[in-house]
Amino acid sequence: MASQFLQVVVGGILLGGIYGFAAFGLSITFGVLNILNLAHGDFLMLGSLVGYSIFLSFGINPFIIAIIIIPLFVVIGVGFYLLLLKPISGKPPNQLLVASVLITLGASIVIEDLTSFFWAHPITGIDYSLPSLELYGLVISETRLFILLVLLILAVSIQLYLQKTYMGKSIRAITQCRGGAKLIGIPISRISALTFGLGVAIAASAGVFYITLFTVTPVIGIPLTVKYMCIVVLGGLGSLTGSVIGGIVLGIAESLTAYWFGAAWSPAVSFIVLISILIIKPEGLLGRQR
Amino acid sequence: MRKTFFTFFMCLSAALLLVPGSANSATEYIHIGATVSQTGRFSTEIGPFKRLMNAWADLVNTQGGIMLKEHNRRLPVKFTVYDDKSDEATVKKFYERLVTVDKVHLLLGPYSSPLTFAASTAAENHKVPFIGTTANSPKIYERGFKWIVTVIDLGSRYTYRYWDMLKDEGKAKSASFVVEDTIHPLGVFDGSRKFAEEIGLEVLSSDIIPARTRDFTPVIAKLKKKDPDIIFVSSNIPFAVNFIKQAREMKCNPREYHCIHHSGVFLKPLGKSAESIIGQSYWVEGMRVGDVSLIHDVLRKAEISEPMYPWSPVWVAAFQIIQAGIQKAGTLNNTVLMDALKNLTIETVLGRVYFHETGYGSINTYPSQIQNGSYRVLYPPEAATGKHIYPRAAWD
Repeated sequence: MASQFLQVVVGGILLGGIYGFAAFGLSITFGVLNILNLAHGDFLMLGSLVGYSIFLSFGINPFIIAIIIIPLFVVIGVGFYLLLLKPISGKPPNQLLVASVLITLGASIVIEDLTSFFWAHPITGIDYSLPSLELYGLVISETRLFILLVLLILAVSIQLYLQKTYMGKSIRAITQCRGGAKLIGIPISRISALTFGLGVAIAASAGVFYITLFTVTPVIGIPLTVKYMCIVVLGGLGSLTGSVIGGIVLGIAESLTAYWFGAAWSPAVSFIVLISILIIKPEGLLGRQR
Repeated sequence: MRKTFFTFFMCLSAALLLVPGSANSATEYIHIGATVSQTGRFSTEIGPFKRLMNAWADLVNTQGGIMLKEHNRRLPVKFTVYDDKSDEATVKKFYERLVTVDKVHLLLGPYSSPLTFAASTAAENHKVPFIGTTANSPKIYERGFKWIVTVIDLGSRYTYRYWDMLKDEGKAKSASFVVEDTIHPLGVFDGSRKFAEEIGLEVLSSDIIPARTRDFTPVIAKLKKKDPDIIFVSSNIPFAVNFIKQAREMKCNPREYHCIHHSGVFLKPLGKSAESIIGQSYWVEGMRVGDVSLIHDVLRKAEISEPMYPWSPVWVAAFQIIQAGIQKAGTLNNTVLMDALKNLTIETVLGRVYFHETGYGSINTYPSQIQNGSYRVLYPPEAATGKHIYPRAAWD
């Protein structure tokens, strides 16, 4: 019984780590730019499909693909921001939020419809797996463990980038005080575009890991975005560590609920956990009070 | 004044001459309406089937069309097909349009029980013959509709041959069910569970799981503990693929996996993990069920591969039913045609088809196993193309 319980908890941790990384891209977009990107899950889906195409064409390991697609999606994200979001960036915060929801929702629908139309294989998955580890009766998926390790390395790298580089410090300055950042001469527009590009690239990179574990269809975008929004709120806006911890908390809650009460209850319990934490700490687990 | 009246009269006459008459006033072709899920969640199952319909129509039309006694000549076949986007509201809208605007003579059903449930209401309301294809939920046939016949048998009997095979072999002793919480998998599960109990298997567990579930770790952990001989996954393909992937990760090794839908799109993302998995097939190349030349002709012309689109033979059988029904009726009169269809008994590419009182048909699936990347029908012996591998090789 204990080993089954541990098995489920380990499964939840591994799953949650993947959730958290994908959610972080949404977190920095919302935390820095005040933009709620409802197309975030669709960029994850696009990353999955690009990863699948590269895997099929060149046989490159998915873990390497997840790194090499980052520059491509930074460019895509920057282009998306300049084309669709920069025109509304000067609006007051409340109007900006509503406008960003409408624009990104529209973009999400367009991306899903175009992908459904042009992508020849509406259910897609990568046939890639590593042998599983067995430790004291626990079976641990090496694929998931490896994904979690790569995600942690990426997360540490992004954290170092945010701490040590001029661009990273600028992003943090804008998060903390947009007006102050402007006063000291930080190019808000350029940093915003790059931040959005980074958020999109993180989603796409997570998408390559996602398609290694699960099937992907062109219409998974919005349900995933809603899940990641919950994780972002749970973990605290703009916090990478918060996103990962929020993802893990959610992953464990879902797994234990499914084990004890049945999978039908997992979504409801996830929201109960979210609401409970927000009642106790409205800014999220590692968020700062505003 | 006279000039005005004359001008008006000439314009009215020209308009009446130029506007085409209704389909029923001067029948030049047999007009069949249908939708295909070219986009959306069912597009993997039947996305290119508009080509299938046009291919069959071309083959029939090169022979002059279908004979109609009433007209004393053959009439060509023409399809009007819309994309239902795998959506109930959209399919309902288009079947209404096919009847009220396009004025088709009969309707060919969409893919799946939920879409057929929605689409068949238009046929019933406007009294147009509706030939269902892949729709086996009992709920469709409990409504007392008079204007529907369907190729296939009820979902509760979907897997009966599989359980007959297990009973004959006498090896399996227990089973656990993992069920996607949607209309078709639930219907198949209901019947399958009863069959399992009837042949003496102990049902260790039944987990009904929401369709959007991605992570099956908790369920698989429980199944490993129970260790059934058979894990029976009643679901659509994305659900089954995710389940099998994770079962392999967790080294869950029953003696057999059964996934009711295991066509080509199931095989690709799983690769070797799919080996020895059993599912259900209406037809597999090499099966001995009668004259299947029409399947080859239509699929070749439509450039559709059966392993990737395993429902295509059901549509071919539906085409045969349409042709036989029209020839028997001798007319496109709705009532006579529907009567002819309901009382039809014909040999099709999938075997003998006849229709029950409430409209469901007689065609059912065969258990087929993935062996070295190919599908082998296992039972009954007269239709089999391979031998049952049991127990499966364990994932190490």
